[in-house]
Amino acid sequence: MITVRVQGVTKSFGRTAALDSVDLEAGPGVTGLLGPNGAGKTTLLRIIATVLAPDRGTVTLLDRDPSRPEDRKRIRERLGYLPQDAGFHRGFTVFEFIDYVAILKEMTDRRARHDEVRRVITLTGLASVSAKRIRALSGGMRRRVGLAQALLGDPDLLVLDEPTVGLDPEQRLRFREMISHAGEGRTVVMSSHQTEDVTALCTRIAVIHQGRARFTGTPAELTAQAAGRVWTEAQRSPAALAAWRTGDGTYRNVGDPPDGADLIPPTLEDAYLLLMGEPELEVTHS
Amino acid sequence: MTEWHLDPEAIRRYAQGPVPPHLAASAEAHLMQCALCRGAISAHVDARRAEAIWHEVVDRVDAPRRRRPERMLVRLGVGEATARLVAATPTLRGPWLLAVAGVLALAAWAAQVDERFLRMFLVVAPLGPLAGVAVAFAGGLDPTREIGLAAPYSGLRLLLIRTATVLAVTAPIVAAAGLALPGSNWLAAAWLLPTAGLTCAALALTSHMTPVVAVAAVATAWVLLTAPTAITGRLDLAFGIGAQVCWLALAVGGSLWLAAARNTVTIKLGRNA
Repeated sequence: MITVRVQGVTKSFGRTAALDSVDLEAGPGVTGLLGPNGAGKTTLLRIIATVLAPDRGTVTLLDRDPSRPEDRKRIRERLGYLPQDAGFHRGFTVFEFIDYVAILKEMTDRRARHDEVRRVITLTGLASVSAKRIRALSGGMRRRVGLAQALLGDPDLLVLDEPTVGLDPEQRLRFREMISHAGEGRTVVMSSHQTEDVTALCTRIAVIHQGRARFTGTPAELTAQAAGRVWTEAQRSPAALAAWRTGDGTYRNVGDPPDGADLIPPTLEDAYLLLMGEPELEVTHS
Repeated sequence: MTEWHLDPEAIRRYAQGPVPPHLAASAEAHLMQCALCRGAISAHVDARRAEAIWHEVVDRVDAPRRRRPERMLVRLGVGEATARLVAATPTLRGPWLLAVAGVLALAAWAAQVDERFLRMFLVVAPLGPLAGVAVAFAGGLDPTREIGLAAPYSGLRLLLIRTATVLAVTAPIVAAAGLALPGSNWLAAAWLLPTAGLTCAALALTSHMTPVVAVAAVATAWVLLTAPTAITGRLDLAFGIGAQVCWLALAVGGSLWLAAARNTVTIKLGRNA
């Protein structure tokens, strides 16, 4: 079942093309957008979150057309969105802020709304700080507040822009757990430039680079792109696109291997590096 | 342990709710002491009603206490949800209000020195509330703008709530500055109707452009229109009786348009909002 369909979407800001004829499909589960900073991931997510309209192309979300005001309102009723730089009214407490967003989500009945606020606060592990002002929270806790507001109303479509950025390893693991849980039965589209997050969470990925979708498919399909192109040597290979010294003292080389190279199984990160190093390559798996 | 107990009829009536307050208080005082009557009454209590009452108690105890501005608004009859939206209006922040007050105080002080500055005060006065409307929607000052844009809440309703808030807070500041003008006369209040008319005009434009651009366009037109009259002393052109009637007509017309268009017009809070 496809719940997010983006076809030929183009978006420019002045003379800068942020997206150039991008296609993307997503359904229940976690779909990851992978790419370097400035690749166009945030622009694509803002379009999926109905915050931006594309210049060209069509977008269908939850079987509705967001360019029509009535459809857009219906989509937003079933949408949760965590922006990359989610801002907060820092004088509000956690409860007050999430309650404020719940009001914007048109939860009019006070008691039912407060129940829902408590539900997402508990779900994201914020119960112990619900009466604390947001300005007193750590960055990781604020990120949780952002996720909590996105989960209000149990949305069918969750759009998360760099949800794990700035988190320490333990917080990242907890966030992965929460996002993985959120992806059960609903569509989650998230961006990241952390290949570990994508490997751990996503059933499908799209690699965005310079405003174009360089790859769409499963993580296994992307990893397979690098089969036979990763090898180890005692030193950095001049043939390598990228190489780094590993814990055992050998060099892990990614690129076109010389004859007789000691090939090793690739990772998603290897395949991602290769794709970024060969920008003319575009691969789409159905 | 008391020898006296509630009779079955009293228990039934108390459990169902509608008993006079003095009987309810008496029954409650007894129930606090008597396990036998508490046991008897439990059979008559509607579980759903008890659940709803308990839920309400938990909510009242558990939800954080509203802050002072919100409590004041609720006491004035504003809905609790609207009060929360008002509390989040960026223009209510102290530094912004201090800036408006500072500019107007400076204009009022200058008016004491030279009559030309008194006329310029009238040009400047409506710009404070107008700028407040723009600031209420400026991306850099509303930290939750991005989240709000993806929410289903009506853009027009949010615009009107924030505009009303801005006007309610800034109008008294402008009025206070007006009263400080030398020989306070009708001129001290002459800015009121132009402000209302300009605000309505800016709101009407928000179906075609963002509030910040709409306010900038209206404010520029206002300054271009009134500055020459203020310099030459022909204040009646912008602030005389005839002009005031025009501003009133603009304010009323704009209000009627906003009321009629509230369900059909898409306010451009952002590029796709």
